[in-house]
Amino acid sequence: MSLGGYVVRRLLQLVPIALGVTILVFFLIHLVPGDPARTILGNQATTVRVKLLRHAWGLDRPLPVQYLKFMGRLLHGDLGTSLFYSVGAGRLVLQRLPVTLWLIGFGAVLAVAIAVPLSAFAATHRDRLPDHIVRAVPLVGLGFPPFWLGIVLLLTFGLNLGRLFPVGGYGSGFTGHLHSMFLPALTVALGIAPILIRSLRAGLLEVFEAEYITTARSKGLPERRVLIRHALRNAIVSTVSVLGVNIGYLVGGTLVIEQVYAIPGIGQLMINSIFERDFPVVQAVTLVFSVMVVLVYLATDVAHALLDPRVRFD
Amino acid sequence: MKARRPLMFLALAGTAALGVTAATALGAGHAQKAGTPKRGGSITIARIEDSQSFDKTNVFQNESIWLTEQINETLYTAGKDGKTLIPWLATSYTRSKDGKTYTFKLRKGVKFSNGRPMTSADVKFSIDDARAQSKGWGYLDAAIKNITTPDPDTVVFHLKRQWAPFLADIGLFANGIIPNHFAGQTRTQFYKHPIGTGPFMWDKRVIGQSVTFKRNPFYWQKGKPYLDSVTWTFVTDENTRELQLRGGQIQIDEFPPFNSISKLQHTSGVTMSLFPSTRTDYLDINESYAPLADVHVRRAISLAIDRNAIIKSVLFGHGTPANSFLPPQVPFYDAQSPGLQYNIAQAKAEMAKSKYPKGFKVTLLVGAGAQVESAMGQILQQSLKQIGIDVTFHQEDTSTEFNDIGKRKYQLGFSYWTMDIADPDELVTFAIDPAGGAGSFYTGYDNPAVVKLSHEAQVQPDPAVRAKLYAQLQVKAANDAFLGFLYYSPYRWAYSSKVHGFFVEPLGNYHLENVWLG
Amino acid sequence: MAAAATADALGEAIPVGQRRGFRGRWYRTPSFVAGVSILGTIVLLAVLAPLVTGFDPTYQDLNHTLQGPSWHHLLGTDDLGRDTWTRLVYGARTDLRVAFLAVLFPFTIGTVLGLFSGYYGGWVDSITSWFVNVVVAFPFYVLIIALVFALGSGTRNIYIAITLVGWVSYTRIIRGEVLVAKRRDYVLAARAGGLSDFRILFRHLLPNVITQAIVFAMSDIVLDILAIVTLGYLGLGVQPPTPDWGTMIAEGQTFLTTHWELSTIPGIAVVVTALGLSLLADGLADLLRPE
Repeated sequence: MSLGGYVVRRLLQLVPIALGVTILVFFLIHLVPGDPARTILGNQATTVRVKLLRHAWGLDRPLPVQYLKFMGRLLHGDLGTSLFYSVGAGRLVLQRLPVTLWLIGFGAVLAVAIAVPLSAFAATHRDRLPDHIVRAVPLVGLGFPPFWLGIVLLLTFGLNLGRLFPVGGYGSGFTGHLHSMFLPALTVALGIAPILIRSLRAGLLEVFEAEYITTARSKGLPERRVLIRHALRNAIVSTVSVLGVNIGYLVGGTLVIEQVYAIPGIGQLMINSIFERDFPVVQAVTLVFSVMVVLVYLATDVAHALLDPRVRFD
Repeated sequence: MKARRPLMFLALAGTAALGVTAATALGAGHAQKAGTPKRGGSITIARIEDSQSFDKTNVFQNESIWLTEQINETLYTAGKDGKTLIPWLATSYTRSKDGKTYTFKLRKGVKFSNGRPMTSADVKFSIDDARAQSKGWGYLDAAIKNITTPDPDTVVFHLKRQWAPFLADIGLFANGIIPNHFAGQTRTQFYKHPIGTGPFMWDKRVIGQSVTFKRNPFYWQKGKPYLDSVTWTFVTDENTRELQLRGGQIQIDEFPPFNSISKLQHTSGVTMSLFPSTRTDYLDINESYAPLADVHVRRAISLAIDRNAIIKSVLFGHGTPANSFLPPQVPFYDAQSPGLQYNIAQAKAEMAKSKYPKGFKVTLLVGAGAQVESAMGQILQQSLKQIGIDVTFHQEDTSTEFNDIGKRKYQLGFSYWTMDIADPDELVTFAIDPAGGAGSFYTGYDNPAVVKLSHEAQVQPDPAVRAKLYAQLQVKAANDAFLGFLYYSPYRWAYSSKVHGFFVEPLGNYHLENVWLG
Repeated sequence: MAAAATADALGEAIPVGQRRGFRGRWYRTPSFVAGVSILGTIVLLAVLAPLVTGFDPTYQDLNHTLQGPSWHHLLGTDDLGRDTWTRLVYGARTDLRVAFLAVLFPFTIGTVLGLFSGYYGGWVDSITSWFVNVVVAFPFYVLIIALVFALGSGTRNIYIAITLVGWVSYTRIIRGEVLVAKRRDYVLAARAGGLSDFRILFRHLLPNVITQAIVFAMSDIVLDILAIVTLGYLGLGVQPPTPDWGTMIAEGQTFLTTHWELSTIPGIAVVVTALGLSLLADGLADLLRPE
């Protein structure tokens, strides 16, 4: 089967998954207790006022009816209107999407930049002190929650060591983004680096063991070059795989990081919408997230296949 | 200013620099040195939530209200003490003998930010629009029968009955003045970026990020506002806000945590202010749960709350024990009423008199992620254990918590109140009147004698008599212990020492026309 | 020949070499040993909590809040005057128990589903895979938060939420392994020999495919501890006043710029536990890898 055919088939498979996602998120968020009308009315919420508001929003219809209306609008490209802001949910999401993409992308790049050299170092000094240090230290990123890491990084690099980085925010212009997003991207990277390091290291070790045996028997080719070439390719394949598989987790992890660094991305939008029971926005964000995740899986598989000729499309 | 004489300029600059440094060193934590206001500059205020809407007649969220107040002003407004009402867009009023007609004289020379002058037609339109909002604040204007405008500078309000809180109600932000017929736009369009007579006008908004207002060139107070523009951003994490302030990215930080107050008071370049507020915190007691319907049980609970311990460990000393459900900054607050203060012996005696002398189990609803509530709750747990009441935590996210309290699906819970008008009526009705829209602050409390006092006070024109009525009401309510009155706490604002003239009123709002950057 | 092969297949399903290897090698695998030591120490402390700590974890001393370390309070006190060391050790009890149970349910359910789905294929597999793909497409935390909101906070609902989301990984792993394993000789022989599906699945396939899942489970415990900590940050985790590292970190958050140790100390506990579990996972992976 060709690459093109494979991609098309996978994209078609996206449809039932997306459908499943819409059902899941719709019913889940509506089953969550808490009424956005009451939340918005605050202390002034009387039964009458709440009822009026719910009716204005169409929330007093039975759930399946609401779902059908939602799907109907969706097919016209309308993701609903935010209950909190009274603007289109789709517009809100598209506005904030680039910010989160920046965060994830930059974070992934930093994660690779940290993980690849460290795991190579660990793998070449297997079971000796450097190996143990490399495997232990990144766990800081795993054990400390992002809000702790974030504030410590901000305190240290944003204030105490001279104002090297702006405290939170997104910045403007490409260099502005790089500057403002460095610390948050670093926090993301530290969160995922331990997983990357573990799997890269294991992969490299496998390569080393195999290559050592083969090259011991071959002549003419310098052992080192073969080692590095194979190891590197394996490393890239592994990295892509692991990053891809963990993308769901990565994307979710940005939720809290965006809160801490006051980054106006969709993670922050998501958290606030869940807390406010802004159903249309939660639905819109989840849908976009899910599509993104599935596309990333697809991209990962394709990249994997292109890099590793042993993989077949079936 | 051109430096024509370099040496002199340098000398001046040097002295000024010395002066500024000295002032900053001394100034951190002290009141602003009164200097001459300088014109120009912009400030950024970071707050805990984003603004929801700018439709002042239908919005209940402080983060929206405090912003619309920069654009839309009222005829009379609350003064700095939160109690007196001072003329603002109106210069005076007269009241008829029967108390049912109020005639206001409008201030001359007031213009909207679109250059048009304000007339009585605008006032009538605004208040008619506000009182038509049945889903919003319309109910507060329920006493108005109709409004007439005999000439462009005069507005007459005809009331259905005598209504003592009327002037305070007119000062409610929802009754702010907007242009007649929404300046030619539809209602929805207009309220996306309202026009008003206030010191600032709409500039731009990025949803979920920032709101910016700029100077209103037609503002009626000459020379003000000093600032060119104000931007409000939204940063949920309190640590991040604090770091942004210290890093110079923002100029004003809303609500730093209690434990940071002391540190911020000693940080150079930062002013940490505690403004007297109308904020009162309560323990909600739902009388639907049988043991809590017993007045002796409720009194025991109030007597068992160690308010001083809470204030010391949770508020770090920045609060005072509450003796009434009204706060001190509200007219007719009764300072003499002792309330039920911490006394374990008396608490045990009350339990003995109740139908549950051996105690009982109860759940306490706490907001998730609310550190203050959680800490208070845990202290309360220990306190109530002493009188045999076994408290279990039930944490819910704040939205669900709010809902459940509103629907009376809780046993014990936490609430607070800040005043919207300079009159006790709004809170009293909400708190003790079962027909007041909230079922007596969501507790189900019903004491006809207390309700009668409230109704009498509403129509009583003589302030001295009103004071007596409200005093009796507060004492009775305290004895019934329908809510646990916890504490009064100040508004906490930290801002750069370059910011002058920033003052937060007891109602929570702030007049940015007085703020200047130095 | 064929009869002998069948007899072999019907007998021990686990390749003998692998079993002997584990027993002989575990003490020579440093990561395994390190992991067990670290984890073992933490578990021991947790079990012996009343003996190694001097206070009641919920006892408040409101006159001595936010104290630094001293003879009386080894690691100081928190904002309500409770002894930090005591809460740390009792917190270990809560968190280890919750994390372990929170892994057990998804592990069990996911493995069973993966077995059936991989072995039978067909529509069982299609439907299971569809569910797996839908759940996987969701950002993990979004689902957990929504579920905890819907169900309410508290440990029982945390188990439910994590189970509903976490089974997916196990199903994928097991299914993948089963797809490969079911073509192996011993399985084909077993089927030819007329053994019931049930017997094949649980007596023969399961022991061979489960090792990957066990290794994953170790790192999954770490992820679950983190999820509980994050839920604590959002205020949806274990209910106060029960001590738990997540709530301790969350409660310390307000004090990050004044008393950073309140969040840092339980954070270190999480890191050390994560380290132990990671080492254990690596060690197991090394040991269980067929030679």
